[in-house]
Amino acid sequence: VKWKKQGLLFDPQHHSLPNGCTEFAQSPQALVCREFVRVYFSTRQREPGGQYLSHMAFVDVDRKMQTILRTASSPVISLGALGCFDEHGIFPMNVVRHREQIWAFTCGWSRRVSVPVETAIGLAKSVDEGETFQRVASGPIMGPSLNEPFLVGDPFVMIRDGCWHMWYIYGTAWAEPTATEASPARVYKIAYASSSDGISWQRDGKTPIAETLGPDECQALPTVVEWGGIFHMYFCYRQATDFRANRDRGYRLGYASSVDLQTWTRDDALGGMQLSEAGWDSDMVCYPHVFACEGSLYMLYNGNEFGRRGFGVAVLEPER
Amino acid sequence: VTAPGGFRWIKRGQIFDPAEMAGIDWMQAFAQAPATLIFDSFVRVYFSCRPKPDSAGRYVSRSAFVDLNRANLFERVGMASEPIMPLGDLGAFDEFGTYPTSVIRDGETIRAYYGGWTRCASVPFDVAIGYATSRDGGVTFQKAGRGPVLSADLYEPFVISGPKIRRFDDRWYLWYIAGTKWLSSGALPEPVYRIRMATSSDGLHWERLHRELIPARLEADECQASPDVIFANGTYHMFFCYRYSLGYRGRERGYRIGYASSTDLITWVRDDDKAGIDVSDQGWDSEMISYPHVFELDGKTLMFYLGNQVGRRGFGLAELEGGLA
Repeated sequence: VKWKKQGLLFDPQHHSLPNGCTEFAQSPQALVCREFVRVYFSTRQREPGGQYLSHMAFVDVDRKMQTILRTASSPVISLGALGCFDEHGIFPMNVVRHREQIWAFTCGWSRRVSVPVETAIGLAKSVDEGETFQRVASGPIMGPSLNEPFLVGDPFVMIRDGCWHMWYIYGTAWAEPTATEASPARVYKIAYASSSDGISWQRDGKTPIAETLGPDECQALPTVVEWGGIFHMYFCYRQATDFRANRDRGYRLGYASSVDLQTWTRDDALGGMQLSEAGWDSDMVCYPHVFACEGSLYMLYNGNEFGRRGFGVAVLEPER
Repeated sequence: VTAPGGFRWIKRGQIFDPAEMAGIDWMQAFAQAPATLIFDSFVRVYFSCRPKPDSAGRYVSRSAFVDLNRANLFERVGMASEPIMPLGDLGAFDEFGTYPTSVIRDGETIRAYYGGWTRCASVPFDVAIGYATSRDGGVTFQKAGRGPVLSADLYEPFVISGPKIRRFDDRWYLWYIAGTKWLSSGALPEPVYRIRMATSSDGLHWERLHRELIPARLEADECQASPDVIFANGTYHMFFCYRYSLGYRGRERGYRIGYASSTDLITWVRDDDKAGIDVSDQGWDSEMISYPHVFELDGKTLMFYLGNQVGRRGFGLAELEGGLA
């Protein structure tokens, strides 16, 4: 497949966002609406002490994914209460339509002491077409379990024939800081769970995406779409250390295909999405989200610095 | 003074004081949350203890045991030479402590459920429940995985702790506590927690009742811990401890031992007046009593419990007059 990059779509510096956020528009995810495409993303508020809080926001884009029509003027979802799993932020958030509601599967995070962060997956719902979301309750729907000890996050949910599918990630290791790392480095892998109601999930205990960088490869943000009769998964992956400033070790987009949603064949070259030679996505590409609208397949994604300067869009070129 | 139909516990005195054990770096103070495993000639009492705090005053908890002569519980006949299980890996739920630990026999295996502690930034800690097994009679335990078997869920957002494992009619029961809120009025946030229950057919996959079992009595934010259940004479008896949510380190608002009973394990009637044990006028348990564990031994009904400063100086023994009716 071949993607045609349409360029940087949204730069948070040039827009007014809720909570005074001016940097980062990470992990863009689409809700296709009748008149526009609503793109949720995670942005950051800097606290007086310099630490970040992650807030969800959205922009409405025309259905050709070319023009920003509107920016959210008020917060989409509040942060969690004191001591809760999502007290310090939500990043990312995946939305699916279910009956008359929109369900948001959130990756909530909170600060720790020996490691910087812990995450878990929460659930919130919207009854106003995605303007605002309310939590079902204050705890997570998926957190650490016996064999998935920490960093459960990055949910992507697909409902098919009454079955709910979720691809997500969990942490396999925290490594003590090294010469190149200021704080412990994490390793995480893509995993899969299924559900009949979207609330109670059964994990299958497997990591379906083969590693290409070895056991310390970090895999994040799976997105799955059905197109041309098979299922396509995009995700991002990187080395576990020295990945922030070293172009050779930073995020790239991975690709796998499946006919049954269970067994995946990885072939990143087939994915057809690479770094640019220059510009906003020339050092890294990450946090992909693929969706169909008006017969075209689009990919939203972040570029350099994990999306500090916003997100871009690409469209799948028709096969000749 | 004993309430009508209430119990009467005769205090026998302090049993184990970690301060008497010199030279053990992982046991400088505290012997908390006693839990028994009965052997032919001795009673093994598991508890959690602490090394010296770090430079910031923060503790870790370790789990260990002491063996007491079955015929004379005041005679110590053995002791763990090291903690029964390691702390968790970097970033794991039990990196900074295992407290409390509850044990039960399952054939040749001994199962342990324990509270695993981690440190958080905005609140001082979080807790989730881990699972480990022993194949050497309870001297060492191997964790079933690096993660917890019971952690925060949609309706129980944090501080999943205080497990007590029991088995009735071929089903596993876990009584535990779940945090309901963090109070941020003081220097450090303080959690409010209440007694809950889950059941399981295998001890790994738990179905939670998702309900507080014991109504609050002291105040809306009453904290409850150590839900210790024993079956006798057709009734399930629960001894537990409870305190005010704030200012609880002194006698007035500190832990006391409460009581509830049930015939179906689901519906519990609280009646603290029946508990039949209170703080002493003076001595090691004159300010608070907490973390009761009730067990039957050679025709007697006995209770281990903690005294002042939630077990800084260990635990003591009380004996029930008559039986659990």
